[in-house]
Amino acid sequence: MKGDETNIIFLSKKDEINWVTLKRQPSEHRRLMSRINKNVILALLTLTSSAFLLFQLYYYKHYLSAKNGTGLSKSKGSRIGFDSTQWRAVKKFIVLTSSQNVPVFLIDPLILELINKDFEQVKNTSHGSTSECKFFCVPRDFTTFALRYHLWKNEEGWFRIAENMGFQCLKIESKDPRLDGIDSLSGTEIPLHYICRLANHAIHLVVFHERSGNYLWHGHLRLKGHMDRKFVPFRKLQFGRYPGAFDRPELQQITIDGLEILIPKDPVHFLEEIPRSRFIECRYKEARAFFQQYLDDNTVEAMAFRKNAKELLQLAAKTLKKLGVQFWLSSGTCLGWYRQCNIITYSKDVDLGIFIQDYKSDIISAFQDVGLPLKHKFGKVEDSLELSFQGKDDIKLDIFFFYEETDHMWNGGTQAKTGKKFKYLFPKFTLCWTEFVDMKVHVPCETTEYIEANYGKTWKIPVKTWDWKRSPPNVQPNGIWPISEWDEVIQLY
Amino acid sequence: MDDWKPSSLIKPFGARKKRSWYLTWKYKLTNQRALRRLCQTGAVLFLLVTVIVNIKLILDTRRAISEANGDPEPEQDYDEALGRLEPSRRRGSGPRRVLDVEVYSSRSKVYVAVDGTTVLEDEAREQGRGIHVIVLNQATGHVMAKRVFDTYSPHEDEAMVLFLNMVAPGRVLICTVKDEGSFHLKDTAKALLRSLGSQAGPALGWRDTWAFVGRKGGPVLGEKHSKSPALSSWGDPVLLKTDVPLSSAEEAECHWADTELNRRRRRFCSKVEGYGSVCSCKDPTPIEFSPDPLPDNNVLNVPVAVIAGNRPNYLYRMLRSLLSAQGVSPQMITVFIDGYYEEPMDVVALFGLRGIQHTPISIKNARVSQHYKASLTATFNLFPEARFAVVLEEDLDIAVDFFSFLSQSIHLLEEDDSLYCISAWNDQGYEHTAEDPALLYRVETMPGLGWVLRKSLYKEELEPKWPTPEKLWDWDMWMRMPEQRRGRECIIPDVSRSYHFGIVGLNMNGYFHEAYFKKHKFNTVPGVQLRNVDSLKKEAYEVEIHRLLSEAEVLDHSRNPCEDSFLPDTEGHTYVAFIRMEKDDDFTTWTQLAKCLHIWDLDVRGNHRGLWRLFRKKNHFLVVGVPASPYSVKKPPSITPIFLEPPPKEEGVPGAAEQT
Repeated sequence: MKGDETNIIFLSKKDEINWVTLKRQPSEHRRLMSRINKNVILALLTLTSSAFLLFQLYYYKHYLSAKNGTGLSKSKGSRIGFDSTQWRAVKKFIVLTSSQNVPVFLIDPLILELINKDFEQVKNTSHGSTSECKFFCVPRDFTTFALRYHLWKNEEGWFRIAENMGFQCLKIESKDPRLDGIDSLSGTEIPLHYICRLANHAIHLVVFHERSGNYLWHGHLRLKGHMDRKFVPFRKLQFGRYPGAFDRPELQQITIDGLEILIPKDPVHFLEEIPRSRFIECRYKEARAFFQQYLDDNTVEAMAFRKNAKELLQLAAKTLKKLGVQFWLSSGTCLGWYRQCNIITYSKDVDLGIFIQDYKSDIISAFQDVGLPLKHKFGKVEDSLELSFQGKDDIKLDIFFFYEETDHMWNGGTQAKTGKKFKYLFPKFTLCWTEFVDMKVHVPCETTEYIEANYGKTWKIPVKTWDWKRSPPNVQPNGIWPISEWDEVIQLY
Repeated sequence: MDDWKPSSLIKPFGARKKRSWYLTWKYKLTNQRALRRLCQTGAVLFLLVTVIVNIKLILDTRRAISEANGDPEPEQDYDEALGRLEPSRRRGSGPRRVLDVEVYSSRSKVYVAVDGTTVLEDEAREQGRGIHVIVLNQATGHVMAKRVFDTYSPHEDEAMVLFLNMVAPGRVLICTVKDEGSFHLKDTAKALLRSLGSQAGPALGWRDTWAFVGRKGGPVLGEKHSKSPALSSWGDPVLLKTDVPLSSAEEAECHWADTELNRRRRRFCSKVEGYGSVCSCKDPTPIEFSPDPLPDNNVLNVPVAVIAGNRPNYLYRMLRSLLSAQGVSPQMITVFIDGYYEEPMDVVALFGLRGIQHTPISIKNARVSQHYKASLTATFNLFPEARFAVVLEEDLDIAVDFFSFLSQSIHLLEEDDSLYCISAWNDQGYEHTAEDPALLYRVETMPGLGWVLRKSLYKEELEPKWPTPEKLWDWDMWMRMPEQRRGRECIIPDVSRSYHFGIVGLNMNGYFHEAYFKKHKFNTVPGVQLRNVDSLKKEAYEVEIHRLLSEAEVLDHSRNPCEDSFLPDTEGHTYVAFIRMEKDDDFTTWTQLAKCLHIWDLDVRGNHRGLWRLFRKKNHFLVVGVPASPYSVKKPPSITPIFLEPPPKEEGVPGAAEQT
């Protein structure tokens, strides 16, 4: 502004000087006069416009900072109390969901952890007696809730009401994976995520869908082309990086920070599930292509085998779950899932993998109790353990125990007649959830590598004769059991 | 801001010490043109910068405002997903105010082109005879409805009148005749055409060609007509080219209150025509029904699969009745559409339901069968917790107590393994043979037409061996086969809870519908309390039948069972008749009896161990097949079972017609 004042002075000085010259030359007088006028007008214009510009720039800056407000949230959240933006956003969201009957529950890992720390106290706190805002007032960018989609009745009006309340909402939709397994169906898209922003705090609403196999599924948060990539710092979201699968949690109501919310009844279990929730879908399209090339076996025997194998797998899964032992689909069963999303009818057994550190001595008795007697036991816990149980109708349940080395995993094999040992090598892998024959089960996330190690690059071509000692490309001879140990490491029943 | 040159020049001026130096310098330069020029350019540049910043600010503010006022993008998405780009917008040259329409009418070919896009073309032989009608949206030029009325045949003109009356005023109507369209074009229809302003329409003669474009409620925008010179020849082909001025979008739309429901309504009504009062501006029919909830509803969480094809008007009627039924839960309903048809999807969206489209697989009956399989599998995938699914078709009316009926009976499916299904349809339940809405039967046949399927039955038995596409089987016939049914039975009501109104279907025609479906009884009483539901369980039902037979009066077997007087003129009695039935599959006499009673006679339906139950003149009427039925023991020794001779071989018997 100072510059402008001086500008006026500067121009007026100039005028004085001009004035002297004017007296001498009247004809020039008018010319100069008009020039002076021009200059004055120009100066005035410059002055006003610069004032205007300054005002605008100031306003623009203000507007920009409001727009990118989430980025600045940390500095603003210093005042921790019930008037924090977090708390207000959550409160507004709770008001909205309860008035619109949106069935939500809290799944925010950070807040669940805080709640879990003094769970007893939280449970005993009655309405409104909290004096201090402890949970929702920690400065953060997000609070995460889950939506139980199948209980949701009035999907339509919700969005608009949220926006009328001041939320800015983003909805991420996708096609329904539950229809993927069925030939040629295309439905209305289902919502996967809602992100609703109020001032500089956002509510991330993860939509949980019911899936066959008694579990809840949420989708991958994938931004479509036209979406605003800076709507919220998406990278900081705790859910949505991958699709996820969760056991259907029982819920309970609690009051924290004066807000009534639902949380999982067993927050510890839920918190444990989060890092291990990654879900991969079966490759239905490829499976369909497979069946177009190699027709499906629909004979009565094949059907009966599938049914029995499915029942055996369900029984095994139930038993192992009760023991708390984590397992995954291995060998032929895994190949069946990956290649054709179904049980391979000529495989004649069900194969599972278990990490040796998860081994429990009561596995054998637990299987025996549910009517699956031990058929053979090869190896020992320290080396090449393998269990085999007899299911009904001659179907075998093979459990291979996996040993971890620094750069690979392996499981062992034993030839009963000769006592020869074999070793099957796999690249390191982690476990993911998937859905297989109406069940939520684990498979190696790095499935292609796992299958290729076991079956080679040609795994897509069905092979009916398979020699477990010679056919797998990852088999290695591993010496021979000393005769003295045979009684222990080769047990046939 | 830092680019502001003059300001940097002036800066030193503020410092007092330097002032004199500055002034001298200034003085030297004052008279120099260049400096003035510089000042002036600087000022102009500065002004320019201001203007640019200004414009940017305005643009940004506007964007911010539009973002704050509700995110319009999801809606746009939705529109794009359904291919709703309006033609005028698509061209990107601003709204066009005129459409050029071409209409062609001739003996063997008709076509209609709007702005160069063919919207109708029919040159198939032996098909598409009659008057083709196309309705365009007057604001967008969208095709909203496309119909053909074979006015060579009787009653089609009535359908045309009905349709044209439903079209909202202001819409653009296009008519063109293929082959022949006048033979059964009666006065009412002609009067209607006259009221539309047509000159030639009301005077349409045998084998004339005729093309017409007009706005409903006037004016006529073009008409061409060519008279047929002789009975054996056709009028010359006519090609009508005309311009149709478009009106503004506001004129084309009604001003309904801005609610979620009306938004759906508006989307629907701007797209399709022929649904009558749902799109009426003044007093539109509701599209939300909120029927009374059902106390103790046991089927609230049972998914409902509606199997549909491309009969959107049927689907509309069906969904209305379904959503009006007590105890319905709309979020459990999924409509499965066989094919990528838009209009059925629009109907589904109008009611705010979930719709799923299915790429057609195979042909004819096998296509229907594959569609059923995909729909059932999808239903159980979408509702993994469900133990049952209700299966409906698009050509059914649903009784107001449909869900109440299921809620009272569904536990039977759980408790009784000898049951195959619960069906809302009684094959033999005609106006004159059904009476008691509280009464249930067990039957060995599977009626379909609104039924409940147990998930375990589907997943464990039916799905794995469902007929493959190349088999060309009817799914319902397949389900009725002994290999699938395995001696299990279905529960049905005496008075049906569904009504089959479809007359256009794969296995359906007007004659067939009139003979077998029109007179079917349909319950309209809400909240019927079913009687003795547990007596429908396997053992209990036998006890019940024996009790019934014991108290039944034996009819006079010397009389003709086909005559009305076979049953006395009483009310509320139970009568029994014995017919000859040598073996379990000997239905000779039954079929003849069914024929003369005017009930379903195309195959055997509604039997339970050689026993049929129906009503005659408000009396319960039992028919027992002797000696095949185990109930033959109830026959008094003196009675000779009735035997009816099948008629000598006839030609015109309707073939193996089945329900769609």
